[in-house]
Amino acid sequence: MSPAAGGPDLSMFNRFSKMFRKGDIIFCEYEPGDTFYLIQSGRVQVVRIIGDLEKNIAILNPGDYFGEMSILENVPRSATTIALDDVKALEFSRENFEVLTLGNPQIALKLLKGFAQRIYAQKRTFMILTLDDVEAKVADVFLMLAENQALDKTTVDTVEFKNTVDDVAHWAGIPSGQCREVLNHFVAQRRIELYPDRIVVKKIADFERFVNARRKHQEK
Amino acid sequence: MSPKAVQYRANSIIYFKGDQSDRIFLLNAGRVNLSYVDIETGQEVRDLIKMGEFFGVKSALGHYMREETAIVLQDSTVMVFSVPEFEAVAMKNTRIITKMLAVFSNQLRRIHRQVQNLMVSGDQTNPETGLYQIGEYYLKNKRFGQALYAFKRYLVYYPTGAYATDVTSKIVQAEEFLSRYGSGVPASPAPAAPAAAPGPAMAARPSAATTVAMAAAPAESSEVAQTFYNAVSLVSQEKYLEAYKAFKKILEAGPDPEYTAKAEFEMAKCLFYLKQFDNCIKSFSAIAQKFPKHPELKDALFFVGRSYEEKGDKAKAGNLYKKIISMGPEDDPVVRKVRKALRAVEGAA
Repeated sequence: MSPAAGGPDLSMFNRFSKMFRKGDIIFCEYEPGDTFYLIQSGRVQVVRIIGDLEKNIAILNPGDYFGEMSILENVPRSATTIALDDVKALEFSRENFEVLTLGNPQIALKLLKGFAQRIYAQKRTFMILTLDDVEAKVADVFLMLAENQALDKTTVDTVEFKNTVDDVAHWAGIPSGQCREVLNHFVAQRRIELYPDRIVVKKIADFERFVNARRKHQEK
Repeated sequence: MSPKAVQYRANSIIYFKGDQSDRIFLLNAGRVNLSYVDIETGQEVRDLIKMGEFFGVKSALGHYMREETAIVLQDSTVMVFSVPEFEAVAMKNTRIITKMLAVFSNQLRRIHRQVQNLMVSGDQTNPETGLYQIGEYYLKNKRFGQALYAFKRYLVYYPTGAYATDVTSKIVQAEEFLSRYGSGVPASPAPAAPAAAPGPAMAARPSAATTVAMAAAPAESSEVAQTFYNAVSLVSQEKYLEAYKAFKKILEAGPDPEYTAKAEFEMAKCLFYLKQFDNCIKSFSAIAQKFPKHPELKDALFFVGRSYEEKGDKAKAGNLYKKIISMGPEDDPVVRKVRKALRAVEGAA
């Protein structure tokens, strides 16, 4: 099987090769993990089961990697990965990870960029979680989501997010019930509209002012 | 284009916190400080850049705002790279990247742990319950292969766990369903067998090898096999009409020693779920005549019986159920189900 077009030559890593049949789970959320994968062919779906729903997080393609957090530390897998086609992937452990990066600057560089983005994302989440006001936490989740969509909050007014209450609760680090209360309060204030599959924020700039004010207040 | 050497005077600023730029810098001579606020402590931190060290890498590669201000302490010479220029240099010297990877992964590990600590209040599913719930979800949604994976992993990690007994019986349940599709895998050619893994991610976990024996996947399945399993997957998603059409394509493609019969069987089953009971009876009866020793003959007859039952003909259904039971053996899962169905029919009669 040839590597992804224009990708690095990984033929020397064939001994790390694993096959997964369409529909196979590669690993499950909550499993302990110590391996990371580089897709050579086929697609991999990343999902999380939230309540009674399977939520699609991402679809990964040949050349993409996943499971890399486990080579950093022994944390349970944070999502479930399923082979969307018949998948061929290289499986690396923490031990042979360095061999891979040394011999493959292209992959190492891709990981480096991924880590840079992930550090930022984690810091952004950290900013949300360290707000001491629960309404501000929820509002800041929407600001983060708007940033991820690269929206200019100064020119855009109403923003629709394809997210659920559970998603928002997850990022805000609060229980679902509490998150729903806050969102209902925002609905009563006509700041948002709440639908089963999406949430519409009427004036995102209002949320930004609110969060900034809370953060300033907290710093004092 | 190649990186440029730029002179900076003492007390000048190379970039401000909040700037967005794709420039990456390398300190050649002089002194440069990075000043930023530690998000954990809220304190201002100043890091001195060492000679020969890159800075501004993370925000340039990650495409986000600068998180620190780079202040020149004494006249300095700095090489300025665009991202592609930096990549070109790094590709020639992998050590640069591996060193940075080590730094980034340390930072990532640290911030990840901090976030996890704060998340605890909202997201407190423990891994044992979490894994069990995933199995439950897939079982409920008739995605038996995936349910099996989650449950089997559960038993590997928690052989005496709180859900172990329940999980064991659910594994049997899921396997029963899967067995209706045979092994789910053609036994014949598996050309790249040595490369095929017996199951996901188990090489490093010898303890898993005995308990978790997932059906081995062929390295490359034929086109007809793929079409077949795609269709089976549609069945498990309850998309019966689409599945029926997909199986039909296999028949239309001409005879196949393995999949023609399997597809016919599955089509008849789809007809049942599509509530076309007369057609279902016709199809399964034809299969039973054509293959009197079909390994899933009892299943086929059960569907015929259920179709009669659905049509309101309880007598015919009951007779068929009795016939299946007489075929034995007693502990056959299909026979067990048929016995239950017979009781229901007789009870209702």
